[in-house]
Amino acid sequence: MAASPLSSNALTRDDRRFGFRLTAPAGILLAVLLLVPTTLTILYSLHDVPANGRSLGPFVGLENYTIVLGSSVFWRSAWVTFLFSVGFVVLSTLIGLAMALLLNQPFIGRGLARALLIIPWATPWLMIGILWKWFADGSVGGLNAVLLMLGATTDYHDFLSDPNSALAITIVAAVWRQASFAGILLLAGLQTLPGDLNEAASLDGANLWQRFRNITLPWLRPALVTVTVLNVIYAFLQFDVIFAMTQGGPGDATQVLSILIYRQLFGVTQIGLGSALAVILGFVALAGGLITVKLLYARGSQPA
Amino acid sequence: MTALASTAPRRLSKAATASGRQRSLVASCVIYLCVAVFAIWILLPVWYLVVSSLITPAQLGVKPFPMMPGSITFDNYLSVLTGSTGSKGFGSTDIGARLLPAIGQSFFVSSVLVVLNLTIAGLAAYGLSRYPFRGSRLFELSIIISRVVPAIAIIGPFFVAFRVTGILNTPWALIISYNVFTLPLAIMILKNYFDQLPREIEEAAKIDGASRLQTLWIIVVPLARPGLVAAGVLIFLEAWSEFFYSLVLTNQLTVPPLLAGFQSVQQFNWNALAAATVMSMIPPVVLVIIFQRHVVGALTAGAVK
Repeated sequence: MAASPLSSNALTRDDRRFGFRLTAPAGILLAVLLLVPTTLTILYSLHDVPANGRSLGPFVGLENYTIVLGSSVFWRSAWVTFLFSVGFVVLSTLIGLAMALLLNQPFIGRGLARALLIIPWATPWLMIGILWKWFADGSVGGLNAVLLMLGATTDYHDFLSDPNSALAITIVAAVWRQASFAGILLLAGLQTLPGDLNEAASLDGANLWQRFRNITLPWLRPALVTVTVLNVIYAFLQFDVIFAMTQGGPGDATQVLSILIYRQLFGVTQIGLGSALAVILGFVALAGGLITVKLLYARGSQPA
Repeated sequence: MTALASTAPRRLSKAATASGRQRSLVASCVIYLCVAVFAIWILLPVWYLVVSSLITPAQLGVKPFPMMPGSITFDNYLSVLTGSTGSKGFGSTDIGARLLPAIGQSFFVSSVLVVLNLTIAGLAAYGLSRYPFRGSRLFELSIIISRVVPAIAIIGPFFVAFRVTGILNTPWALIISYNVFTLPLAIMILKNYFDQLPREIEEAAKIDGASRLQTLWIIVVPLARPGLVAAGVLIFLEAWSEFFYSLVLTNQLTVPPLLAGFQSVQQFNWNALAAATVMSMIPPVVLVIIFQRHVVGALTAGAVK
């Protein structure tokens, strides 16, 4: 029988044209919605755009970029973004891994526990910010009540108005959501791990740590890479949680780049500068994702 | 009491042997301790929110916070639902009267997007999966890269375009702009799902003389229903959760910017905001828990790509 077009590489020209036609509406829509605004933003970033945004204004070349890169506000904000990202990525990934390993064990009520894992992930980011803002509040907060109960503090503390703790609390809130997301993905990865692999290893006398190190971890590596890359991107682009909790304050303690851009664009309406910042943030997010892929796969190529 | 005591160990040992080996008592204790820590980590903030929504402002002010309140009230929910914001200390905002309309708008925007995206993304995903063309790999790659474009980097042009066309502050501004992130997600998930579907039935249909579109409609769509449901739930979730576009392009049209606005008002009532937040969390959480199996499968397949 002649090779069927569906199962072989022998697609006819007509088949390929059919595939193109099916994909075209989505392609056109995305091109219009993504390429056009992105191009415009890059154009904005090269002009001294008037505050009303009615026209591009005079072309200034890379001046917006030199202003941004030369300002201490930008570097301070980049540093806050970096701190937030490191805390967010490390904690989300590790706590997610721990949750996945735990929920992969047989125990009574496991189904219910797995359903619990869904709650933070399904909750909108903004509402997570609102929830944690009040949970950490200095006068009505549940967090203070718990710390008081545990004897860790003697009085209520306003974590979010204290520059030293504000960033930490926003990280915890964001991690609360993202660890669950990581846990869901990693648990799905663990469930495909063949049980007899572990069994054979334990018969050979491998202990818990050796089995984790030599079987589970290599098996999870692709899922871990995915989760970590997604966490890095989420970290750089995070806006909702911080906006809801601190709006970047107190002072500039939690002013990550996305908040700074928001302020530039809609607070002080410096559209040219804000656009330059947005372009920089996009590249940082892309670079962060690519570097993470590279690093993790490079480590993965070593013998486990 | 005795019935409980006698069944629990049996279920425990059954669970333990499911892993192939009997677990030691110490290991079991460690596991249940970890489960307890896990449950507290997830539930404590949620519990705080729910309790806050069920107590009065006076009870809220008690230190330490009453984790087990002596009495509960549904007044917060009632005032938010009826919009009777005057006497309940809502302050200057009319959030109560606007929450239900916002929930309605959120449902409308999310539902239209689900239908629209399943159609457009479904066709594209099927084309990419079964009839790859020159440039289809590049298209898939650019879809993945589009996930890192910051919303904030493209919001300005949207704002201008929507103002010019007069759809600023309407649901259509959101339905159009949300495609930026929901469409790539849907294409990735559905392409992956189609890749995993066996092709034999499609080939049989083709031999029986069905056209390519007939095959898609009669054979593939019914087979792909679980994948379509999962993608639909995830699109709904993303649209329901979206905050930034809605904040900039509308005047608190959907739920998230409404809650954010309520929060930043000087005089407000955290009990009522808590009630509103609980109500707004319920649709997405319930939806995902109902379709848990499908959704998690699609999420992992889509994400791992």
